[in-house]
Order: sequence, then structure tokens, then C-alpha cells
Amino acid sequence: MGFRDVASAVTVRGLRKSYGHVDAVRDVSLNLHEGEIFGLLGPNGAGKTTLLECIVGLRLPDDGEITVAGMDATRRAREVQQRIGVMLQSTALQDKITPREALQLFSAFYRHAADPAQLLEQFSLTDKADATFDTLSGGQRQRLALAIAFVNRPEILFLDEPTAGLDPQSRRELRDDITRLKKDGRTVLLTTHDVDEAERLCERVAIMDGGEIIATGEPRALAAESSTMQSVSLSTKPQIDAHRLTGIPGMVDVVSNGNWVTFRTPDARRTVRELTALLEAGGIELLELHVHRDTLEDVFLRLTGAENDP
Amino acid sequence: MIRGAVRQFVVSLRLYFRNPLAMSYGYLFPTLFLAAYWGLYRFDRVPLVRHVGELLTITVLGGACFGLPTTLVSEREKGVWRRYRLMPVPVGSLVASTIAARYILVITAGLLQIGLAMLIGMPRPQHPFDLWIAFTVVAFAFLGCGLVIAMMADTVPAVQALGQTIFLPMLIIGGIAVPIASLPEWAQHASGFFPGRYAVEILQACVTGDGVGSMLFSLSALLVIGVAACTAGAMMFRWDEHERFAMRRDRAWVVLALAAWAGVGVAAEYRGYIATTSAASTAGAGASAQTTDITIDAAAGPIQTLRATSAEVAAGAPSTPAATAAAPRADATARPDSSRPHPTSWVAVSQQDIDADLTFDRLPPDAGVITPIAPSTEEPGPGTAESVATLAEALPQWMPGSTTDPVQRVRNLLYVAAVPDLLMMDTERYVPAVVYQRIQAQTERSDLIKILYWIALHPFDDDDRAVDEMGSLGLPPASATNAEDVRARAAVYGVKLLGRLLGRIEPK
Repeated sequence: MGFRDVASAVTVRGLRKSYGHVDAVRDVSLNLHEGEIFGLLGPNGAGKTTLLECIVGLRLPDDGEITVAGMDATRRAREVQQRIGVMLQSTALQDKITPREALQLFSAFYRHAADPAQLLEQFSLTDKADATFDTLSGGQRQRLALAIAFVNRPEILFLDEPTAGLDPQSRRELRDDITRLKKDGRTVLLTTHDVDEAERLCERVAIMDGGEIIATGEPRALAAESSTMQSVSLSTKPQIDAHRLTGIPGMVDVVSNGNWVTFRTPDARRTVRELTALLEAGGIELLELHVHRDTLEDVFLRLTGAENDP
Repeated sequence: MIRGAVRQFVVSLRLYFRNPLAMSYGYLFPTLFLAAYWGLYRFDRVPLVRHVGELLTITVLGGACFGLPTTLVSEREKGVWRRYRLMPVPVGSLVASTIAARYILVITAGLLQIGLAMLIGMPRPQHPFDLWIAFTVVAFAFLGCGLVIAMMADTVPAVQALGQTIFLPMLIIGGIAVPIASLPEWAQHASGFFPGRYAVEILQACVTGDGVGSMLFSLSALLVIGVAACTAGAMMFRWDEHERFAMRRDRAWVVLALAAWAGVGVAAEYRGYIATTSAASTAGAGASAQTTDITIDAAAGPIQTLRATSAEVAAGAPSTPAATAAAPRADATARPDSSRPHPTSWVAVSQQDIDADLTFDRLPPDAGVITPIAPSTEEPGPGTAESVATLAEALPQWMPGSTTDPVQRVRNLLYVAAVPDLLMMDTERYVPAVVYQRIQAQTERSDLIKILYWIALHPFDDDDRAVDEMGSLGLPPASATNAEDVRARAAVYGVKLLGRLLGRIEPK
């Protein structure tokens, strides 16, 4: 192994992990900068959780190198675990344990531990400190899981689908908690299949699909870089047939949907000019017209093939 | 790391005590077992004390083969252990603290059983410290087995299935629920391959026997089984429910745990341990199941109950434990005829009194389990012979056996025969001959006949302080016996000697 990037909090190179004949992670490399919130975005089954679990030491990779906080994560796992915090996709605890006991228990295993009472307050769990785990709501359980990830004052946090399955209120609270991490200067690796969440929380994202990383970058840049196309949608009176538009240069993916026709074009200005000329010549009134650039979601859907799913 | 392990230990205990189901399983069931044993053995405290080894073994077995793996597997299914894996601690410390917490639970359940048993009259265990050592070793062995079950079982129902495959054979042919001596020969040999047998033996030895020191083979067997099981369990440790046992490469460690059972069994066979133990325990093993009451209607007094002789006395035929339990009280050996005057002292006893008041044809058989007497041709085993010889040598110097009152003297000596019988000691069948010899050497035959009649009809007269003074004869202290029971057995032994003196019983 041996490589070390001072500015990198986490470095993964050539990671592979298979379950039988299924390649869950295929030759993945990525680099997390210190102090950034990095999102692993992908549909279910993309390999995000397997990748995260390999990094935090829950799974042994078949091949590849993982460096966390400058240490080889597979050979110096215990030292790495002293310095990282992990929130798993579903953190279950014993039914009858209380948040206070859970935090006291987990903090007892670390050299440098946070005060459990402080964590309870920080994550708005003071009122539920002595309630048993089986009486906590989904949001309270997730906040407790996040608090547990904080018991050792970690430099790097790994959060696997932290807001999955939560109601909107709980989701917003948890996102606020994560946003605060950014202010504290902690490094966070966050997996999610929620594009909006990734766009709001993450400074950089990697899109995973089929066990591979297919795109990496800042959410807006990714959207801009990944596509030079713009989407156009219009409504007319009377309704226009989509096949009448096929002669306009640069127009692709023309689709009729009720009163609306949508298409994509690399040069929206020219295409729209020719389109309006065509409509005037045909005596067709243009009611509405919208032009917009691809969002991260468009990029995500297109790259992962989800937009073509039924 | 130690701080974390201690914290996990504390939390495990707290969680256990918050779980009503676990509490019932851990404490209510052992109490019910105790009540069942107590009832089964007819509320007689001496037989109960002879079964403490079995009771405690069942308690540990339940806590280890079911309690520990059920907790571990259910927590693994929930994902608790997966989360633990992310902590910077070795598996050993987490497993050790989990097992330590379970040990506290089983030992408190064991203490509860012993405490309740003593409340209902069971004598204090003879070697309490040794009992703690033995209990700890037994718990270590069985908790190791429980850990292996937890690693083999993918789900909680699988724990039940696997646990039963160990629990039931151990109960039936492993020497726990069924006395070894009651088993067919093949099963007696098979029992040597089960840790249950060694657990019962070593625990019982601490309650009514000579302590851990006399059970070094059992101690070693349990340690070997425990070390192998804990090693196998730790090597196969699974954090994640998705790691199915059948798919794991390290499942071969199960062989180590099983090899320890096999190795111990082979060693026991090789050393002749199994055969020796079977023979020695034959006489005593079933005895407790056959106690019953006989009533002697004393000539001028109220009805007295002797909790002594077998139902065979009443029924005239061998009986099963169940039949015995249901058997009615019986007046058997002594049938005083209240219509005729009775002698007012032993000196006035006549042959007519003996013929009228005593019968000899319904006494417990010498080959039975109540007041047994070995045939003169039967030699005891080496260990037993040594104990009998020690007693025979000490008896002439035993002060209660030389007291000037002839009735008290004979009574005292008969107590010496009664105590090993009540406690089902290995020497019980051989001590009566020594006692009879001593009594006959000290007392004229004609006087002895009258005295024995007198004792048979007045078993609770005079004093029983001699029962407290048997230490010098190598017999357990008084706490292990009940003086009333000793008196009753002594009376039966007296009648048996009387029958021999009168030629009414043909000694074998």
C-alpha cells in the first residue's frame, strides 16, 4: 500500500467486492477531501452501502486499497475506528436500552469520548434520554444513531442513507444536524438515493450504478458538464403533432404528452427561433414555452438509466 | 477496552432484568424445577439434598444452551452486534463480558434454588466454597457450548432446535434427569460423553460429598469441554445475520467443540471412570425415589410417623417412584396390640411381646434402597472399602457408642448405620454389618433382643445427640441429615438385626 494524500481524509483505490457471482463494487476509486461533505448517490443496489461498509471495516474487500485519516483501513482497523463515526442505514439497538445507556455504553469503548449528556442535548434527545429504544420514533432513533456516531468526537463521519424512511419533519431536522457538521469542519461521506438531499448537503457527489462510479464532481458542475443539452417544453393552440417538429435542426427526443410537447436541443436559441417561425407559418398560437438546463436529477436519471424505467 | 467491557456487562444485566420473559425463564423455571423435585421426592429434605447437583445443572444448562444463544442471536438479527463491530475493541472482550453477565444470571438463579431449598429444610451444602468453584466451572463449560450454538444458529428458532438436541439427550442419557444407575449399560457409557454427567457429579460432591478435590476427573472434563467450546465459539464469531453458518469457512471449528466431548468420553472409558462410578452409585441412585412413610401406633402414645421405610413395606412388592409417591401410609414392622398390656421398660420385654408386636416379613429388602445391607460375601470397591475400614476402626473409640445406658448405646450405634443410608453414601450397604458386629460385641444377646424391640416401639425416645457427633467416624455433620429421619431408619435397622438374632431373617 503506502500512498498517502495529506489533503485527503479518505482515499479508495481499485476497490472490488463480490458476493458469490455478483460484483457489488467494481474497481471503485474515490477521494474525500478533509472538511468536505461528499455524497455517494445512486439507486438502490448500486453498491453504495457495500462501498461504505468496506471503508469502515464492516466488510473485507476482495481487492483494492483504503486509506482513512492517513492509515491503511484494513491493517489498522482499530486505530481507524477510534477516529471515525459511523451511522449505519438501520441502527438497531436492544429494545429495552435507553438513549442515555446506549451513549454511555458506546462512549466507554473509545479513548476520547464526548459527554453523553451533551450529545443528548445536541441531538434533541434529552427528553427521551431514559425512554427505552422500542418507544422511540423513527426520527428519534436516527438521531440517536447519529449521536452514537459522535461519541468519539470523530474526524470523519460515514452516514449511510441517514434520512431514509423518515417523515418530512424528521428529515429536515436530521439534515440540519448534518449541515452543522459542515460548519464544524468535519469530513462526511454520505450515501443517499435522494438527489435533492445530495444537492443540498454535499459539496461533491459521486454517482454510483452497477457497482461503479460513473460520475464525480460538484452537483452543479456535474449537471453542467455532463450535458450540453437543454430541455424545451411548449404548449400550443391547437395542439401540434410532434412529427411536424422533426424537421427542425438540433431537435431530439421529441415527445408529445397531452397538450405539451417536449424535446432536447444543444442550441435552444436557434431551435426556438425556428420553432416559432414554423408555428406562425402554420397559424398555431404558442401558449407557453419553457427552456431549462439539466439538473443533477436529470443527470442522475439519465446516467443510471432510471428515466427509462417504466 | 476494559471500561467498555465492564459497561457492556452492566448494560447486559440491566437489560436482562427489564425483560419479564427472560426473568421468568431465568428465575421462575429454576424455582419450578425445585418445587417439582421437592414434590417428586415427597418433601423429604434428605432426598432433595441428594439431587441438588441435578437441579443446578438443569439451571445452568437452561441459561447456557437457551438463554445465552437466544440473546446473542436475537441481538445479531436486530443488527446490534453489527454496530458493536464498528467499535475499536477485539471480539474477545465483548464475548467475555456477555458471558460474564450470563454467568451472574445463572449463579443468582442457582443461589435462589439453594436458598429456597434450605428454606424448606434442605441442609446446608457441605462445601460451599467448593460448590462455588464447581458451579463456575460447570457454567464455563455450558456457556461455551451456548456460544457455539449461537454461532451455529442463524435464527432464534434454530437456537431452540439446536439447544434441544443437546438439552434432551443430556437430560435423558446424560445423567441429569435420570440417574445414571437407572440407565442401560450402553447409555451409562454414552453418558461419559456428555458434560451433564460431570456437572451433576461435581456439584453433588460439593453438596453432600467430599468436595471438588474428590472429583478431579469431572473438573478436568468440564474445563476441557469449556475451553474447547469457548475457543470454537470465539473463532466462529458472527457479527452479521447475513453471514449464514452454512456459508462460512470457519464452521469447521465446531469439530473442536465436539472433539472435546468425545475426548473426555474416551478418557473416561480408558480410565475406567464410567464403570466405577456406575457400580458405586447403583445402590444409592434410585433410593431417594422410594422413600415413604410408615406409621407405628405406639402402645400408649399418639401416632408417630416414621419417614423411613419403603412403600415396598406396605405394598409387599417393588414399586416405581410414581407408585411410591402415591402409596398410602403403612404400619408395617411394628404392630402393637393395644388390647394387651405392654412392658414398661426394656427389661420387662418378653418373647410374647415380640411375637405380638413385630413382624419381619414386610421389612424393606436388604438388596433394596431403604436400609440396605450388603451380603457378607460382597466386597466393596476400593474407595468404599477404605471408608468402611476407617469407620470400623474409629467405632470402638466413638464415645456415644460406649455410653453406659444400654438402650441409648444401641440407639447411637444404629444411628451410625442410618446416616449413610439416609445420605445414600457409597458405604451405606456395608456400614450396617460393622455396626451390628459392634453392637453384638458390647451387649448380651438376651438383652439386645429386648433392647431392639424397645427401640422399634419407641424410636423417638431418649436423645439423638450422637447424630451430631459423627464427624470422627468420617460421616457428614448433622446439618446434612434430619434427626427424626435418622431415628426412623435406625429403628428399621434395629428390627433387621432383631430378626437376624431370632432367626426370623435369613441373612444372605
